[in-house]
Amino acid sequence: MPRAATVMTTAAAGALILLVGLPVLFILLQAIFPEFARGSLADPFSKIVILTENDRLLVQTRNTLLLAGSVIIGCLILGLPVGILRGLCDIPGARVWDVIFLIPFLIPPFIAAIAWMMLLQPRGYLFQLVGFDMAGFLFTFAGVAFVMTLNLFPLVYFAVSRAFEAVGGRFAAAARVHGAGPVRAFLMITLPLSIPAVAASLLIVFAMSIEEFGTPAALAARTGFEVLVTGIYTRLSDWPIDLSGAALGSVILMLLVLAAFAIQNWIATRRSYVSQTGKPADAEKAQLGHWRWPVIGLFTLVAMIGVAIPLATIVVTSFMGTISGGLRLSNFDLRHYAPIFATGSRAGQALMTSGWLAVLTAFGTALVGGVVAYIVVRGAGRGRAVMDGLSVLPNAIPAIVLAVGVILAWNSPFLPVTLYGTAAILLVAYIGILLPYPIRYAVARLRQISGSLDDAARVSGASQGSTMRHITLPLMAPSLIAAMMLVFAIASRELVASIMLAPAGMRTVGTFVFAQFEQGSVQTGMAMSVIAIAITSTILLVVNLWLVRQGGNAFSG
Amino acid sequence: MLRTATLVASLGFGVSIAQADTLTFYTAGPGGLADALAEAFEAETGIRVNVFQATTGQVMARLEAEESNPQADVVVSASWGSAEDMHERGLLREYTSPHAENVPDFLTHSHYAAQGISALAIAWNTESGTPQPSEWSDLADEAYRDLVTMPDPAQSGSAFDLVAGLEAAMGDEAWELLAALAENEMIVPGPNAAALNPVLQGAKAAVFGAVDYISYARADEGETIEVIVPESGTVIAPRPMMILESTANPEAAQAFFDFVLSDAGQALVAETFLMPARTDIEGRRPGIEDLNVIDIDTDAVAARRDEIIARFNETVIDR
Repeated sequence: MPRAATVMTTAAAGALILLVGLPVLFILLQAIFPEFARGSLADPFSKIVILTENDRLLVQTRNTLLLAGSVIIGCLILGLPVGILRGLCDIPGARVWDVIFLIPFLIPPFIAAIAWMMLLQPRGYLFQLVGFDMAGFLFTFAGVAFVMTLNLFPLVYFAVSRAFEAVGGRFAAAARVHGAGPVRAFLMITLPLSIPAVAASLLIVFAMSIEEFGTPAALAARTGFEVLVTGIYTRLSDWPIDLSGAALGSVILMLLVLAAFAIQNWIATRRSYVSQTGKPADAEKAQLGHWRWPVIGLFTLVAMIGVAIPLATIVVTSFMGTISGGLRLSNFDLRHYAPIFATGSRAGQALMTSGWLAVLTAFGTALVGGVVAYIVVRGAGRGRAVMDGLSVLPNAIPAIVLAVGVILAWNSPFLPVTLYGTAAILLVAYIGILLPYPIRYAVARLRQISGSLDDAARVSGASQGSTMRHITLPLMAPSLIAAMMLVFAIASRELVASIMLAPAGMRTVGTFVFAQFEQGSVQTGMAMSVIAIAITSTILLVVNLWLVRQGGNAFSG
Repeated sequence: MLRTATLVASLGFGVSIAQADTLTFYTAGPGGLADALAEAFEAETGIRVNVFQATTGQVMARLEAEESNPQADVVVSASWGSAEDMHERGLLREYTSPHAENVPDFLTHSHYAAQGISALAIAWNTESGTPQPSEWSDLADEAYRDLVTMPDPAQSGSAFDLVAGLEAAMGDEAWELLAALAENEMIVPGPNAAALNPVLQGAKAAVFGAVDYISYARADEGETIEVIVPESGTVIAPRPMMILESTANPEAAQAFFDFVLSDAGQALVAETFLMPARTDIEGRRPGIEDLNVIDIDTDAVAARRDEIIARFNETVIDR
């Protein structure tokens, strides 16, 4: 093996072990040794009894799977059609739609859940506007699945649109030349070739919906519908704290996600999905023609439900003087924005902190994720499957548990130097938590790119590094950039790990909003969300427009 | 990449340097109080206080995860039992502040003292179109059917204390009352904020067991909320302040402890609608002498925690 490749593999493996393996190892140790956090290995396995002592855990596991299944179906319904259209057709304002569909990631899930509650509950905004409420829908299993779907469907949209864009019209065109109708070409060629990307995005949806806490906590408690993650949080956030019980619950979650990962991996690797062979591709997309307005209508509908309605609820709430005052003109004012814009306010610091962290996290995850993905798909040897599995784990562990793992691992008194207690520990946790995005996206993308392109470059005399730089990286770029935008969006409002790990005195957007909701005013929390969403979506829009000006071809594969 | 690395280093570096000669303060709400105390203390002494503010559960989880290498110097929780627990595990440093002599005896201890006190009450939306309740049992009336919320005792330490307190005062009648409330379709949506929020908008009419200072603060902002403390009695939730045994800076920690119990510190506590721990400082709301406080034996109750929560779930949630 050439030296450059060995160094790269070692570096990527080291990064994965440091960022993911270490916290996971400490969680496992905590699950086995209840006194581990206190530096003792007493009573190993004494906590395992909670697995058998009641059937609640079984019910929670069943509910978790049911919910994740429903959310996957919901995400397909909402994200698949628009994703396919965005990938294959020339959609007016395509880049703008991309930014609009990123917005759900900018909204903290618990804020979105509260917004839906304030909209649909009895005497909520809907009732105040039109005289009826939809509490009967919201506080049910379907309601919880609905709200979670709205948080997650963009994952499917982005993965599907990038995959279909890459498969492009070229293969379908070849099928058409050979006599297939457009429907047949789509069903037989384009759709099957895009399966790895769709499966990858569904894996992330599955993992995220089983570890998502905000929505079930806000809504499911009202329906008597318990999931695993709520149980884990209860063990971690109610005194007396049960670290090992929580760690044990997390182990179950990890097993569920690993099982899903195995299924996805089987789907993605049992045959070849190579569609990028280096032959000049026709970058033209299908024109919509008569379908222009119906398609725009569909995009608008999805954007209304998934983005406009929750966002409008948050904005309206942020301008309300009092909640009990209701939707009256005299009740609207700016008073809840005042504390945010006050000079030297902690809100300003929080925005800066989250901004830097989100940018660094996006670059950090893309760097590590890109290399790991390359090794997983192109590398040889047994290590690569382990690497792939390791990279999907953080999505299986509730962020709060990973955060506890990070504390246990990095605050160990034996370490001579540690990042714990500094802002850098947040970066470590963020990268660990969000690493699965670039890896899943890039792995799916690489499976579409033929390895013969690399070989051709090497035969023509390019070094491995220069092949990577000039061939593979540009081809991976669209997926990595899409993943970086996701990571940036999610990191900019990350809550749970921030609460556990932020050094005392440091605030992020997420912790600021949460503290407002818990103890201050709901409206100020919403106002801060509005400001953060405005800033982040502007940044994303600018990046997107810049990419267009760089010439779509450079990045559209 | 070099630039990124430098930036990471500088971000982290700034914080770790700052920690060498400062205090670290972990605290439960109210929001803003910790910052106000930290700023006033820094203005007086020049010692910087880094604040971590979260729910009691999050504070405790962090303390526990950090136990092999503690970071905090001073801690305030919203659960008296948590201080007793930490003291029994030998984690607290003995200290009695000179200001503590004005704190009632039952709210001081050799190793901790109350910072402020909250009480549990009914928070009622005056625009809800329901009659004004005056007693806990009123909320089981037909008039409040499907209109009452209660914080989950499993997630809110104060709601747990209320259940335990009502049981201590009323015996089995407390459980009959809870069953009647459940029969009246009372919901248990989560921690304190989740219980109050639907009442603000009017989706529900009243909270059974609201944390009083939060409700007073909302009413002060103009929300149509009234705080009603039943004459039959309620429980109080004193908020223990403690210095960790592991502190590297005990003088500064004691100075901060003293400051919180000083006139200036207690005035800041009173500002948030908590009852100040010191009886000689005026609060912005009825004080402890105006309440009919139900005594509970925190040790005995803490030992029965699982049993009480299980019975609550059986009676109310899984009814």
